[in-house]
Amino acid sequence: MNALTRRLISKDLYLQRGLIGIAIVAGLASLVIAAEGRMRFNIGMLGWITTVIAFGIMVTMFGVVNERKERSQLFVLSLPLSHGDYVRTKMLALLACYIPAWIVLSGGAVALLLVMPNLPDGMVPYAVLLCVYMLASFAVVLCGALHINSEGGMTALIVVTNMCVSLFIFMTFAVPGIAKHFQGATPVWNSAFWTVLAIELLVFALAIILPYLVAARRRDLH
Amino acid sequence: MNQPYAIELCSVRKAFRFFTLDDVSLVLEPGQVMGFVGPNGAGKSTTIRLMMGLLAPDAGEVRVLGHAMPEYQARAKRDIGFVSDQMQLFPHATIGWHMNFVASIYPQWDAGYAAKLIKRFNLRPEQNVQTLSHGEHVKAVLMLALARRPRLLILDEPTSGFDPVARQEVLTEFMDVLRDEDRSILFSSHNTVDVERISDRIAFIDRGRLVDCSDKEDFLERWRRIELQVPTGSSPPDLPDVVSRATDGQFVTLTTNRFSEQALAPLGSAVRAVQRMSLEEIFVATVFHHREALGQ
Repeated sequence: MNALTRRLISKDLYLQRGLIGIAIVAGLASLVIAAEGRMRFNIGMLGWITTVIAFGIMVTMFGVVNERKERSQLFVLSLPLSHGDYVRTKMLALLACYIPAWIVLSGGAVALLLVMPNLPDGMVPYAVLLCVYMLASFAVVLCGALHINSEGGMTALIVVTNMCVSLFIFMTFAVPGIAKHFQGATPVWNSAFWTVLAIELLVFALAIILPYLVAARRRDLH
Repeated sequence: MNQPYAIELCSVRKAFRFFTLDDVSLVLEPGQVMGFVGPNGAGKSTTIRLMMGLLAPDAGEVRVLGHAMPEYQARAKRDIGFVSDQMQLFPHATIGWHMNFVASIYPQWDAGYAAKLIKRFNLRPEQNVQTLSHGEHVKAVLMLALARRPRLLILDEPTSGFDPVARQEVLTEFMDVLRDEDRSILFSSHNTVDVERISDRIAFIDRGRLVDCSDKEDFLERWRRIELQVPTGSSPPDLPDVVSRATDGQFVTLTTNRFSEQALAPLGSAVRAVQRMSLEEIFVATVFHHREALGQ
């Protein structure tokens, strides 16, 4: 990683520091609410899911879409880098903004399930899949933002990825190998879990690789 | 070894759905200041984007400071200061943060000069970018570009939307920059007064085509408006290289782009006045002549 790439990553971390802080505080606050009993658990977890998803969307919107719309991108591209360098650096920078907060919030959610006595530990594999799903969803939105120039296109992508969260929750419950152990006393890491996890990681990897192959090779900046 | 051209465009073409930049060739030599003049939508910004490597030409060749664009744009941009009125700094960061950011990227950053410019432009490092007026914002962008001491400055409509005082401040700064004879400047504008003040070479662009490119003095020397008085009923005398002709009764006004005293001699006493033309008048006459020639 060269010095310019490091500077640009630091730049995005600096500009997004407020958002990262708010997301961590809001996500952890949601987990605290969730820890206060079964009834509040649902409200807290809803807040936690909303925070992690909204955080991913906002990191992308501020980091890519607004930078392009407000023409700060033109300032960045006046620096000694190519359009390809810009795409590669932006990818790394926004992953650096998102992943630490995602680790804190995902780790917090899994720890909560393990610590709370009245919740079955069988939920943990499901929670892990949900966390990785949200990471993959962030990567898809980021990938889309680096390819789609129109606001309408970006809005459509965000709507679709948001709808897919509910779809993921229902579909994963429909997988017998996961639903059967959900209420179990111990986590079961069976082939159903590993299959879903592998699909999620594949989507994540594709979403990360695609901009390097397509957006970074574009010769025109519009 | 000869220094490469600061900018070299050779038969460049770039087509969009509703606009085509066609067959643009121009050269900016080291130390030269070129005014790049054209009406709105003429193709100035597209040409500048090609120079900056933000667009790739469909045909032709773009070289900046000896580097082929857009392939080697990262190398070329180490020595280019680019300012555009469309460029925005990060709204939630201060001017001081931007100065540190740019200084960390360019080893040749001149902190003393940056401080001097901050003072001259009446900016404050602790100012948040989103609180700046348009003029202050452009001045901040300009300060960031100048203090990195680039070999080539590319300025896309930098004084657009400025009040007269701000325009004067910025143009004065350009004049200071010009004392460095190795530094080249391409200055795009539709304000010919600004261009006339600082440029030593001028290129006119209209509807995607470069219509004329020459030294400023050459433009000012060869363009003239000639007022003639001819007897009623007789046809006005013919003169070579007349780009426009206006008749009002006995009075005929000819505009020529190849003025010479010799060509004037046969007209004799019909000549009432010979007027020099401002760059703006030359620009307008060039554009209309070009459009007439194209039948548009």
